[in-house]
Amino acid sequence: MRHRTILEYRDYRYLKLAVLIVVAVIFAYGWYAYPLGHYGGTPLGYTLGTIGALLIFWLMWLGVQKRRYRTTGDVKGWLSAHIYLGTSLLVIATLHAAFQVGWNVHTLAYVLMIIVIASGFYGVYTYLRFPGLMTENLAEDTLESLTLKIADIDREARRLALGMSDEVNQAVLASIQKTRIGGGVYAQLREQVSSCPTTSAVKLIKSRSGTVKGDAARKHQDLYGMMLRKERLVRRARIDIRYKAIMDIWLFFHVPLSVALLAALVAHIVAVFFYW
Amino acid sequence: MKTKLATITRNKKGQPASTEQTVVAETLRIGRGADCKLHLSDPRIALFHAEVICGVDGVSYIEARGGVVSVDGSFESAATLKTGQRILVGPFELIVLPPQTDVDLALSVELIDPLKDDLEEVKSHVKAGLKSTWLSKRTFSWLAGAAVFLVFLAWPVLNALERGHGKDTTKPVLAADASWDVGPLASAHASFGSNCSSCHQQPFVHVTNGACEDCHKKIGWHFALDTKEAKAVHTGVFGDTRCSSCHRDHKGANGLVRTDSRLCTDCHQNLKSRHPQTGVVDVAEFTKDHPPFKVSMLVPGKTGAAALVRIAQDDKTRYVEASGLKFPHDVHMSAKGLRGPNGKAQMECKNCHVPDETSTRFKPVTMGEHCQSCHSLEFEPKATTRQVPHGKVADVMATLQEYYAQAALTDAAIDVVLEDGIKRPGQRVGETKREAALSWANSKAEKITQELFEIRVCFECHQIKRGEANAEPAMRWLIAPIAVTQHWLPKARFPHSRHDTYKCGSCHDVAGSKKSADIAIPDIKNCRECHGGNVTSKDKAPGTCETCHGFHTGSPKSGVPPILPGSNQPKLMPKTAAAISYQTAHASLATQNGTGGAPQ
Repeated sequence: MRHRTILEYRDYRYLKLAVLIVVAVIFAYGWYAYPLGHYGGTPLGYTLGTIGALLIFWLMWLGVQKRRYRTTGDVKGWLSAHIYLGTSLLVIATLHAAFQVGWNVHTLAYVLMIIVIASGFYGVYTYLRFPGLMTENLAEDTLESLTLKIADIDREARRLALGMSDEVNQAVLASIQKTRIGGGVYAQLREQVSSCPTTSAVKLIKSRSGTVKGDAARKHQDLYGMMLRKERLVRRARIDIRYKAIMDIWLFFHVPLSVALLAALVAHIVAVFFYW
Repeated sequence: MKTKLATITRNKKGQPASTEQTVVAETLRIGRGADCKLHLSDPRIALFHAEVICGVDGVSYIEARGGVVSVDGSFESAATLKTGQRILVGPFELIVLPPQTDVDLALSVELIDPLKDDLEEVKSHVKAGLKSTWLSKRTFSWLAGAAVFLVFLAWPVLNALERGHGKDTTKPVLAADASWDVGPLASAHASFGSNCSSCHQQPFVHVTNGACEDCHKKIGWHFALDTKEAKAVHTGVFGDTRCSSCHRDHKGANGLVRTDSRLCTDCHQNLKSRHPQTGVVDVAEFTKDHPPFKVSMLVPGKTGAAALVRIAQDDKTRYVEASGLKFPHDVHMSAKGLRGPNGKAQMECKNCHVPDETSTRFKPVTMGEHCQSCHSLEFEPKATTRQVPHGKVADVMATLQEYYAQAALTDAAIDVVLEDGIKRPGQRVGETKREAALSWANSKAEKITQELFEIRVCFECHQIKRGEANAEPAMRWLIAPIAVTQHWLPKARFPHSRHDTYKCGSCHDVAGSKKSADIAIPDIKNCRECHGGNVTSKDKAPGTCETCHGFHTGSPKSGVPPILPGSNQPKLMPKTAAAISYQTAHASLATQNGTGGAPQ
């Protein structure tokens, strides 16, 4: 059976629910003619606002649930509902605000919500795209097994390089001791690393291949092969880390901005009723 | 040279074990190269790292070759070897041992900085996962949430509470709650600025009607509350209605007043079913079911008191003006022109109908300002400077008697025959002659008075009947009461200034009006030619309820009486006005029209 994504969960159950909600909301908005026009304070505006706020609270509850490792229902279902109902908020909140914006806490809450949803869309995109790429990159390996393989090569290369010129030996040593895989935020998000000691070593060994003869040349060739293998392994490890970072980075916006949205939402509600 | 090398290794507990060997060579080459006698197999060691040489004087020294040598903590290119000296060659420590008899030099060699395990080395350079970086969802969440909470909630609330919420009405220097503002205030409220508590007087409580009425003290009801029934209906319909249910602020400069027709039609399209006793016709749409206009016309009452009467324009029998005046518009507007005081003149509407200060309606037409320049009250052709007063019959008679008496007694060149020569200058007039003169003057005044009231001057404009011949002077001619309607459509607003691109005659058909009974108020068809209905139309001007009507048209709390039919109308005529004079009638009208600023 074909793998079904979170979007297709149970025959698009939550997509259908979200579409139903959105259609109902749009219909209500078109049908409802409040004498003073549409705005958040009409009976329909209050209704849409209440639905929107409850949805936001509920969607955030998902995060809390996940943290508690206590599953209410199945996680895939929650996530599918989270995505579709979260998207429906775009329509609900926009019609609640009746397309009115200003430099105020009300629009702040709206804008935060838009950013949170947009970051969520990016998250969905990464969830759909990167697992496949990761599998393609790692094949049957894992980051752990790549590390083991690199260590094996390092050991062998080090041994082999002992008998070679200081230049080559130093390059191999640098490759062992200074090749960084991953690192800070920026390093994790990048695949290419400028001045990678392993790449430098490969280049150096290749350039020196003409200087050795006989048995040494064979060993030199062996070392070159090893270092090439290592370079590929290192790249794959870096790509793996990069994919993981891309799949994670949006959450560092999605989650804190959700919390900011929650605060802005509470401020919005209090402000509206404080100055009723 | 002969060198003893003691290679030291340590077990897990750190206890040393020594393996000794003796090397004989010309010099002691140190390196990882196969030709080095002290072979140090470590990638950190150069192929030919250093060399120990025994001098001719038996003193040994070390020289760096392909690698770096550190002696007692400092890098040296060459150093003399002394007993106990520590020399670092890469990760190896060489210690010069005390001199021994059978060798030139004794050294201990120990790897003091072994390489890490390769896997450990690789792992130490792998840093995966954003959690391992400075990024932290928890920290960011706390910061972002707390920042929004403090700036947009806690601060404004504290600020509002600190200001006593409504008690302190001064403008705050820094309005923390400005971020709560949902939109610009109506232009009339703009001066409140950031002082939210001007209207929002209590937290979590709707803006009260009282907050509005603090300023809007004189706003009118929707209809006059002059009867118990009216009050009951008003309470039933509007009892718990808040001002802000219609007037929502923060909707821009012009957003405070509702202009949609539903404001009216929600009730008025089914008013009969809601309030069967109402006299107001159901209406939903200007272009469809709006009834013919009803004028509010002044009608002289049978008892003498005039009243405002509402008459529909399609009520042909009643839709007739009885102003008490004779005024044929066609004569005055004749294209041939009229004979005026300065020769022939062509009259225009504006000669009499002068816009009022608001350019909405017109100032009252008055005899003195608009008629008298042509319709002079001269009574004696030879005395063009004298006119009778525009007033009571008795005053007219008195004026004439005075005039002719004086004429009889002076040398005035008047067109009368003085039979007995009383106008002899320089002679005293005797009693008999004075009596004769007075008699003549009275007779003359009587004759002219009759002429004025029955043939010319007064009779020209007024409807006058002859009274009892022997009655008091004031009752000898009965002048019809004047009832000139000033506001024909007081329940609607019609700003003439906004329609001044049209000629008066295009709406007011007066060119063919021969009688003063004709009413030249345009009918609803006339308005519908240009004005559409509630729905915006491409080829018509708006015609919503609000285009012409207002909501707060009932008796205002200020006590200013409205111009509406009903028991609370001002009385326009004195009760004994059987022979009311022009001035008296106009005095009443002035009272009525003076308060014509009542709501439309």
